[in-house]
Parts: sequence; C-alpha cells; structure tokens
Amino acid sequence: MMPDETPQSAEPLIELTVNRVVEDPNTDTRILVLSRTDGTPDHFMIWVGASEGESIRRALDTSVTPRPMSHDLVRSFGEHLGITTERVVIRDVKSSTYFATVYLENKGATRTIDARPSDAIALALRCHAPIYATPDVWRRRTGQNLDAWLNKLETKNIGAQEV
Amino acid sequence: MITQMQVKGLMFDPYNNAYIVILRDEDQTDMLPIWVGKSEASSISLALESVAPPRPMTHDFMKAYLDAVDAKVISVVITDLNENTYFAKIHLTYEDSEYTVDSRPSDAIALALRSEAPIFANESVIRKQSSEELDQWLENLKPEDFGKLDS
Repeated sequence: MMPDETPQSAEPLIELTVNRVVEDPNTDTRILVLSRTDGTPDHFMIWVGASEGESIRRALDTSVTPRPMSHDLVRSFGEHLGITTERVVIRDVKSSTYFATVYLENKGATRTIDARPSDAIALALRCHAPIYATPDVWRRRTGQNLDAWLNKLETKNIGAQEV
Repeated sequence: MITQMQVKGLMFDPYNNAYIVILRDEDQTDMLPIWVGKSEASSISLALESVAPPRPMTHDFMKAYLDAVDAKVISVVITDLNENTYFAKIHLTYEDSEYTVDSRPSDAIALALRSEAPIFANESVIRKQSSEELDQWLENLKPEDFGKLDS
C-alpha cells in the first residue's frame, strides 16, 4: 500500500520491518535493526532507550504482560475511541536523531503526531500498521556494513562500544 | 469513596532497586506509595519539574496522541491493590462521550500530570497502605536514599 501523502518527496517511501532488537551491554540502550520489506539486504539501525527497546521486543514476541505497558495503553486508547494507527514514517534525521510521524485515522480524517521512532514503532507493531522511511532518511541511515559488528555484539564478544 | 491525591515526590527504594511515587491527600494525613519502574519514574519526574525534553518521551507521545484527536483526560483513579500490583483507571472524554481505560498507576500518573488532570485513589487502597510499618519503613530510609533518580 502506498501512502497518499508522501512527506517532502515525490519518491516512494521505503517500507521497513523490525528485524530484531539487540541489547547493547555497554550502555542502557537497545539497537533496533530494521530491514526493507522488499528484500534488499541492507539494514538500518536506530539506538533506542532500554524501556522503549524492550517494549518493541515484547511486541515482536507478542508476549503479554500481566498489566498493560505504556504502548499497550496507547493502543487501548485507540481501541476505545475508534482511532486507527494508519502508518508511521521515519521522516528525518538530524545529528543522529531520527524523527518520526505517526498517522492516525479518525472517521476519515487524518491526524499526525511528531514522535520518536521508538514510540512510533512500538505503537505500529501493536496496531499492525506499516513502518516507512523516506528515501532521504534511508540514504543517510546508520547501519551499512555493520553486520559484522552487530554479530560480535550479539555474541557478547565486544571490541568496541560505539561505531 | 475516592480521595484526591497529590504527587508529593519520588524516592529511590534501595532495597528493591526501584522507585516510589509518594501520593498524599490534601490533609497530609493519608499516604499512598506506589512502586514504579525506572523509566516511569523518570517520566513522572520530568512532568513534576515541568522539564520539556528535546524529543517527546513516551508519555508526551501519549498526551500528543490524545490531543491529536481532541480527547481529554478528565481524571485518573488508583482503584485497587492486589498482591502488590496496583490498578488504575483513566477517565477520558471524546466527542461528548466518556471512556474508562484500564492502566497501570505509573502511566496514569505520568499522563495526569501532563494533562493537569486530578489524581484520585480509592479509600480502600489508601487504608491498606497507611500502616505503621510503612511509616516506619519510610522514616528509616536514609536521606542519601532520596533524590537518586536519574533520567
């Protein structure tokens, strides 16, 4: 499905899927590894906070907590009020900070919210909404040629903390 | 019966490596401590100090979500305590209807502070928590155990 309102660009958006969430044992953060749904074998990484990263991991695992966690609560608001999370778009990156927009649909009207990608993706996964990046963000992404480094991290055999 | 509560502050609980949100009623007689996780404590702390972080944090996002569709938080109520787990309800108005959403107290409080909505607690919950043991435990906390919240 192609979104009808492509921000700032006539080029088509790139649909992404969350490949995995990697723990960075050196810091209180998680690394979100995103890949393209069209099969292009390239990654896109975003560093997120530990609680946001764990929230995304729970959504991937479809694990259920005894009480609703923060992003479950946002989904619950949508369910109660009849609001659909239509899609999220990672729209910009400035000084290594990524910016996302969440598109909500409310009785035919579209509303947008500025969000961190972590919150946007944590909600999108719970609402089965597609995740996109603009081509510009994709070109400027972090994560190219980092597979070897990531593999090292995942086997907890770490040489370097940051890239 | 419900009682309106104010957030009096946050403490670090060194025994459980967790944070405690202290709610008190207006007469300063009843108290309700609520154990919360680090990120929730950090979020409540930012709201108490009216600090606007450079990017919206999760509860700012939650508030923005409700604002985007003109839904309003009327109040939150800490409703029940069951085996050390607290339950809360968030009361919303949206398009002339009222909605009640189940939540953890930490999310409810973080959202209420950002929405300038009142926080209430069921009296049954307060009673269960205003025991002498608890007062004593709080008194015995050392000053250096306070204010360890890192965001």
